[in-house]
Amino acid sequence: MDLTDTLELPTNPGPSDTVPVGAGLSIFDPVFLGIDEFGQPVYLPMIYRNILIGGEPGSGKSSLLNTIVGHAALCADVRLCLLDGKQVELGLWEDACDVFVGPDIHHAIRTLYRVQTVMDNRYTFLKARRRRKIGPDDLFGQILVACDEIAYFSATAGDEKTQKLFAALLRDIVARGRAVGIIVAAATQRPSSDIIPTSLRDLFAWRFAGRCTTDVSSDIVLGHGWAARGFSSNTVDPNNHGAGYLIAEGGIPALVKAAYLTDTDIIRVADYATWTRRHTGTLTTDNASPARAAA
Amino acid sequence: MRKSSSRSPFGWSNHNGTVTVIEAPIARSYRRRAVIAFWVTSAVVGLLAATVASHYLHPILGALAGVAFGVVLGAVVFALIVAWPVLRVFWHWLPEILLGLAVVYGWVALMQSTPLWLSLLIVALVVGVPAAIGPVRRRVMSWAWCLIVRHRLRLCFAAFIATNRHGSLPLILLARPTPAGERVWVWLRPGLSLRDLEADGQVQKLAVACWANEVRVMRASRKYAALVRVDITRREPLAHTIVSPLPDYVPADIPSNAPTSPGMPPVGLDLPEVPDQPVTVPADAPRPRKPRNPTTDTASPSGFDPSDYA
Ligand SMILES: Nc1ncnc2c1ncn2[C@@H]1O[C@H](COP(=O)(O)OP(=O)(O)OP(=O)(O)O)[C@@H](O)[C@H]1O
Ligand SMILES: [Mg+2]
Repeated sequence: MDLTDTLELPTNPGPSDTVPVGAGLSIFDPVFLGIDEFGQPVYLPMIYRNILIGGEPGSGKSSLLNTIVGHAALCADVRLCLLDGKQVELGLWEDACDVFVGPDIHHAIRTLYRVQTVMDNRYTFLKARRRRKIGPDDLFGQILVACDEIAYFSATAGDEKTQKLFAALLRDIVARGRAVGIIVAAATQRPSSDIIPTSLRDLFAWRFAGRCTTDVSSDIVLGHGWAARGFSSNTVDPNNHGAGYLIAEGGIPALVKAAYLTDTDIIRVADYATWTRRHTGTLTTDNASPARAAA
Repeated sequence: MRKSSSRSPFGWSNHNGTVTVIEAPIARSYRRRAVIAFWVTSAVVGLLAATVASHYLHPILGALAGVAFGVVLGAVVFALIVAWPVLRVFWHWLPEILLGLAVVYGWVALMQSTPLWLSLLIVALVVGVPAAIGPVRRRVMSWAWCLIVRHRLRLCFAAFIATNRHGSLPLILLARPTPAGERVWVWLRPGLSLRDLEADGQVQKLAVACWANEVRVMRASRKYAALVRVDITRREPLAHTIVSPLPDYVPADIPSNAPTSPGMPPVGLDLPEVPDQPVTVPADAPRPRKPRNPTTDTASPSGFDPSDYA
């Protein structure tokens, strides 16, 4: 879109091809999520927020997570930190992200430690500057921690202690990361207490419940009592992938159909994101030191 | 129940079948209310009218005129209140009544002003064209559903939603078609709250009564607790795929020099290629030492539990 004016930029050492430009998106822009049942577009502000995505297998959780990650990938100042026990769900973003964690709980825990350190450093920095939270165009960008299949890390892989440690670290990041731009988007099939500690689950402000098999499962995602009030994602048609109830700004669940990125689309967006990030030097693959953000 | 009363020609008896049956205590309360209204109106209006009239007439004449005026107005108010149950029915069915009148008068006028074949043609066009054009038909049908739903909701409120002691039902305000069904605004009267509508199984009963798939009730205003929104869902409006606009942010002419991750040989992708190995206790597995938390290295294996992963 703004290819013309960036062609004159001398700073970018673009070789023979066009100079990569940012997509012009910012994580401070709300993410386009889909449409609601009245045909109106639904935008989800993700900055200073966290989202929990639940729903039965095949209900479209990973697709929604991909939409959120896709938005963040096109934001120049957002680093991606992807944890995916299933590898393929977020795997298409592997080249565009800073850290990609597959089914390796120790790597996951090491990564969360890094994020936690960054978070602490950022708070120390903010305190030194007598500020309470970051804003747009700040000294440092935001970090999106997207975790698909939390259950793999918090209930399946490793031993109980590792799982507990993972949950505790994630809870800390969800609880404290908000103000320094660390956003957590997590998906799991049924976030019941044997999968995620309720103390972690209840911290997520925003919830998306794709189709669930029972009213109780829907309530586990959305919060207790919504099914009794008529908001149960059990009523969603099982063949209607990507439809579900979203609790966001209004505080009342809204029936939403999530937008869908096909694999080709994801690859296209991811390649572009990788390319722009490589050229602008934003991408630091695994050997970045966590102390970098402390400066 | 039917109640005959010599004092009133209408009101709490049901004359035609559509009048909601009025319970005896409610009928009595209406009569009492009407009597009170009669006296209050007569007194207040009479006094005011007498005061004003005695400026123009002789004071005694003025007072008499005022009293007469007050009594007449009180009687009107009395009659209105007594007749209210019937008037209310007219009010509820007003759109249908007006529509029916329009159809009858329109038909008569048409027949009188045009020959038979032409009027038949016009009727066929007026009915047939909207029925043949899909969007128009759906529009008309959705407005018709709005009318139906208001009657169904009224029936529900009278039938099984708890009302207050006066038997006054929630006021059903506007109804509007939505892509999924209808949305109706309701003003709750004293004695009711949103919780009564949300009580166990109420919304499901509402859905049954409205011939709908699902009914949801929620507050419609941050200011007034009495203003409530009822969403009635009959259709699945979200069936088709929504295409994400994110690829539009990608310029068309990016070079295809996207890095690809190193390829992986297709080994171990089928069952025979994966040997049957004895399960080792996870503590034996070498693992990288985690900084900052040496305690996790003490292993307490709980093993793999597939039921957690569901
Ligand atoms: N918003 C959508 N619109 C249309 N189709 C969708 C949408 N979301 C998902 N689908 C379809 O549903 C399928 C399953 O979606 P997805 O992989 O996101 O489910 P999931 O909830 O992550 O399942 P699992 O729990 O097994 O990981 C997709 O392959 C896609 O075809
Ligand atoms: Mg998935």
